[in-house]
Amino acid sequence: MSYLIEARNLSKSFGQKTVLQDLTFSLPAGEPIALIGPNGAGKTTLFSLLCGYLPASSGELKVLGHKPGSSALFGRVSALPQDAMLDPNFSLLTQLSFFGQLQGMSKSTAVAESRRVLSLVDLAANAEQKATALSHGMRKRVAIAQALMGSPELVMLDEPTAGLDPVNALQVRQLIAKLSNEASFIISSHNIFELERLCGTVLYLEHGKLVQQSQVHSAATQGYLTLTLEAGAQTDVLPMLRQLPGVISVSDSQKHEYVLQFDAELAPDFDLTLLMALRQHGWRYRMLTKGQTLEQQLFAVTAKQA
Amino acid sequence: MPGPLPLLFRQTWLYSRFELHRLFMTPRGWFALAAFTTIWYFLLRYPIYQASVQLQEPEIQQVLSGMLGMVGMYNLLNWSLPELSVYWAMTVFFMPLAVMFSAADQTCTDRSRGTLRFLTLRSSRDSIFFGRFIGQLLVQALLIGLSLLATLALAVWRVGELPATALNAALLIWLNLLIVLMPFTALMALCSALVRSSRLAISLAIVSIGAVAGVLGYLVWHFPDLRAVLEYLPGAQLPMLLGAQGWDTLKYSGLPLLQTLVLLIAGRFVMQEKAL
Repeated sequence: MSYLIEARNLSKSFGQKTVLQDLTFSLPAGEPIALIGPNGAGKTTLFSLLCGYLPASSGELKVLGHKPGSSALFGRVSALPQDAMLDPNFSLLTQLSFFGQLQGMSKSTAVAESRRVLSLVDLAANAEQKATALSHGMRKRVAIAQALMGSPELVMLDEPTAGLDPVNALQVRQLIAKLSNEASFIISSHNIFELERLCGTVLYLEHGKLVQQSQVHSAATQGYLTLTLEAGAQTDVLPMLRQLPGVISVSDSQKHEYVLQFDAELAPDFDLTLLMALRQHGWRYRMLTKGQTLEQQLFAVTAKQA
Repeated sequence: MPGPLPLLFRQTWLYSRFELHRLFMTPRGWFALAAFTTIWYFLLRYPIYQASVQLQEPEIQQVLSGMLGMVGMYNLLNWSLPELSVYWAMTVFFMPLAVMFSAADQTCTDRSRGTLRFLTLRSSRDSIFFGRFIGQLLVQALLIGLSLLATLALAVWRVGELPATALNAALLIWLNLLIVLMPFTALMALCSALVRSSRLAISLAIVSIGAVAGVLGYLVWHFPDLRAVLEYLPGAQLPMLLGAQGWDTLKYSGLPLLQTLVLLIAGRFVMQEKAL
């Protein structure tokens, strides 16, 4: 099986400090992949290794079967690097067209492609402007646009919605969702809810180690329901939920949010039982989700490991 | 995508061409061109024109021939036009210094700004490094050519005609100057790959040349047999070059070309290894 990314015993150190430690994982093409971890976990370093910006200290890393930075990946892999900026001396169109030409396009094709990707991020009208004339959010969108030039097979986005207002962040999420059938995405973000909506596979890094690689909607999440109730004084919800037939455990993960673990064989219609119980008590719910949230999946495991 | 080698050539050429675009199509380039024109206006109008007129005087020619003959530069006065003699004597020493400033920002600002991260996803570090270097050479070739044409125009204005040998002499000066400037441009490519700003690149280049000259001077002082090593420093061939004439000048090209090669190999290594 050919993988999008294969890492074997991958490590990266800066002097005495080890930032990534012995990572081994394989990622197949398909649904977007999330890269999650706290600050300093090594996400950006892993991104830099994948993009060929940094050499690994040891181990092996392959992207689409090639060493990162290899000429075989030009035009096939693209990225939104964190904090990278375009040259302030040239217009967006000039630079994006130049990128297109570097990718092998003719000048006219590169200009047309630049206009296309700028329209994807709603910046077609700004094509003749320089990066310095744009707001932070607009610059971020241009950086996303350049990552979509041509037909990349793999698009790596480091914090794609950081610094964007909610409307633009939503547009970016919609764009990724729309394009995820055409290319594979790897997205690094602190926004776990965003990743939950977009991604199928999750890599969770902590202290430079791969703590978890899992599917967002995997079998491991079967036998769970996440219930969010509307705000109101509901003090006796937890005891009532624990009394429901088939319940194994109930935890109140956040305000008005409860995670119910149940025996799916004993109570195959547990969701119906739960809804009826809510109706009986007159408690209105806002959301009922099958399985655990990504946050619960990740942090329940890491908490157990800790 | 074409094979790795055709791709390298194609992308290198794109980068080189983009340097011309940077010169002619950006406000920064226009300022550089305006500064270049102003400097050359004053150089042509005063030192070159005045010196050329003075060089027509037989007494001055006699005195200068004697003086230059003593230091092995007699041939400096033998270019077909006095304007070219003055141009050659001035530029051969002043241009390397100017190039250390103009060619300082080959990759450093793009690295600190993160622009190289966009570029290396589409092109090799080699094509960026060599493309920018060749781009600098193209810009220099163009600007030296323009200044030489202006010098010839000045000569035509003074004498009313252009001697048949003047174009050939101007071509030789153009070629020699490009070769003289090559190691300095390569040195700046190396320094630019090492640091994150053009100011630092300039400082590093000046300090490096000074340090190497100082260390070699110290070694030669204690071990006189090593004197020959001093002849391998960038620009060491310039006094001999000024003493040569015609196509003979090109026999001093070997050293700067070799220096360029060594500096480019070092710069390429740094560029390959440097984190972006």
